[in-house]
Amino acid sequence: MKKLNYVFKNTFINMRRNPLLVIATMLAVLVSSFLVFTTLSARAIVENNTSRWQNGVHVVIFLDDRVTSTAHKQLQDTLESYPEVRMVEYFTKSEASDEFKILFKDQPELLQEVDFDILPTSLRINLNDPADYQLIIERMDGNPAVKEIRASGEAIERLLSLTNTLVLSATIFAGLIAFAAFILIINTLRLTAYAKKKEIKIMRTIGASSTYIRLPFIFEAVFESLIGTSFAVGLGWGFIQYSKTSFIAESIFDIAISDSYLINLTLILLLSTVIFGFFASFVGIRKALND
Amino acid sequence: MIKLDNVSLVFQGGSVALSNVTTNISEGEFVYLIGHSGSGKSSLLKLLYKEYSATKGDIEVVDMDVTSLPKWKIPLLRRKLGIVTQEPQLLEDRTTFENISFALEVLGFEEKEIDVKTSTLIDLVGLNESMYKFPSQLSGGEQTRACIARALASNPLVLLCDEPTGNLDPDLSIQIISLLEKINRAGTTVLMATHDSSIVNRRKKRVLQLKDGKLLSDVDQGRYV
Repeated sequence: MKKLNYVFKNTFINMRRNPLLVIATMLAVLVSSFLVFTTLSARAIVENNTSRWQNGVHVVIFLDDRVTSTAHKQLQDTLESYPEVRMVEYFTKSEASDEFKILFKDQPELLQEVDFDILPTSLRINLNDPADYQLIIERMDGNPAVKEIRASGEAIERLLSLTNTLVLSATIFAGLIAFAAFILIINTLRLTAYAKKKEIKIMRTIGASSTYIRLPFIFEAVFESLIGTSFAVGLGWGFIQYSKTSFIAESIFDIAISDSYLINLTLILLLSTVIFGFFASFVGIRKALND
Repeated sequence: MIKLDNVSLVFQGGSVALSNVTTNISEGEFVYLIGHSGSGKSSLLKLLYKEYSATKGDIEVVDMDVTSLPKWKIPLLRRKLGIVTQEPQLLEDRTTFENISFALEVLGFEEKEIDVKTSTLIDLVGLNESMYKFPSQLSGGEQTRACIARALASNPLVLLCDEPTGNLDPDLSIQIISLLEKINRAGTTVLMATHDSSIVNRRKKRVLQLKDGKLLSDVDQGRYV
């Protein structure tokens, strides 16, 4: 208990010696942790949204109205015979009109202008694996009953690819800032160790163990990192809560992310921060203790 | 208490600090280690508390094999030794009392024990009137006495003193030697490095003389020639 008091007391004395460096370190950890938290949360949100879309319609085949309804039925039967296809739904002109009216109910001018007769009948296909959409397009190519084919898979792939690029860029950026935080922690500890050179020398002469001498430095690094990450996580949670009620939620995205995911992410980040602080302190104080 | 068997110390670059030194110091002895600057006195003391590692030979201190002592056991060895250096190593921002109690704090003593033991140590070295003074307000002799008090915090079996009177005038030096003799009479083995011939010749103790890293002589009630 006595030793613990000594460690805590000295941790705060050390931190008071270089307040600006301590603040800079905390800010660097904050920015880095915030980036990691928000990008991983954003990726989870995108994955949730895309998987929801992927459970819907993957390919829409607009049918040529000049072809007989028997030909349409034959095409539907052919599609249903493919092992990649889970379900095929025949969408009539009137159903297409109803859907259009629902989708554009906020634009009465448009509804007045549109000739609903031009809306084609269609086959809406749900695939077992959405990635097989290209296969269906290839097989339907040149079929006289087919007017046009649209696949949602392309859009999903583009979105996922964009998200992955964003996550990768943000991760690299977060890594660079984490490295800056690492250097800052090392420098802060080295400055403290230099200021306490005489004290460390006396402690070594008296017979204090290396661990005992290290502990205040380890606590300092871990404490600074934990404060930075805690603020980052707090900001991240706040940002997500704000997003749920902001314009982002009103667009195509549903800010769908579970609390359990966020809690896990928070715990992993905090644990990583402790490990990060430990490692930085070991590197920072190593030379001072070997002198 | 201290055994050196054919001990040599060669620094990187080839400079020889000690060469084939063999000697024994028994429990309760007071021994002077003499020699000119650069003769190897400090190096020998540093080998005893494993600040340096011997290039060759065997060293045993307080029943511990120092030669093969792993790094993590060095603090255990040092807790059995008291170390006093020529330059008084005191923390400038702490009073005499705090400088001594700091050692007890580091060694893990309880708070009540720290206060009692610090007061006893301050009384032993005669610093009662200076216990709340900062190092800058102490004379050289008082600073050395504070360092001796701190070195005694762990109840050491051996006190290693590296020229503790080096910066003091003759009167203060005598006071320090008297204090070390008092500690020695209480049972602590004392090994003191010095090049002050007046002290050595007056006290009639065992004298180990080093020259160019070699043990030149080992004489009871010796003189510094």
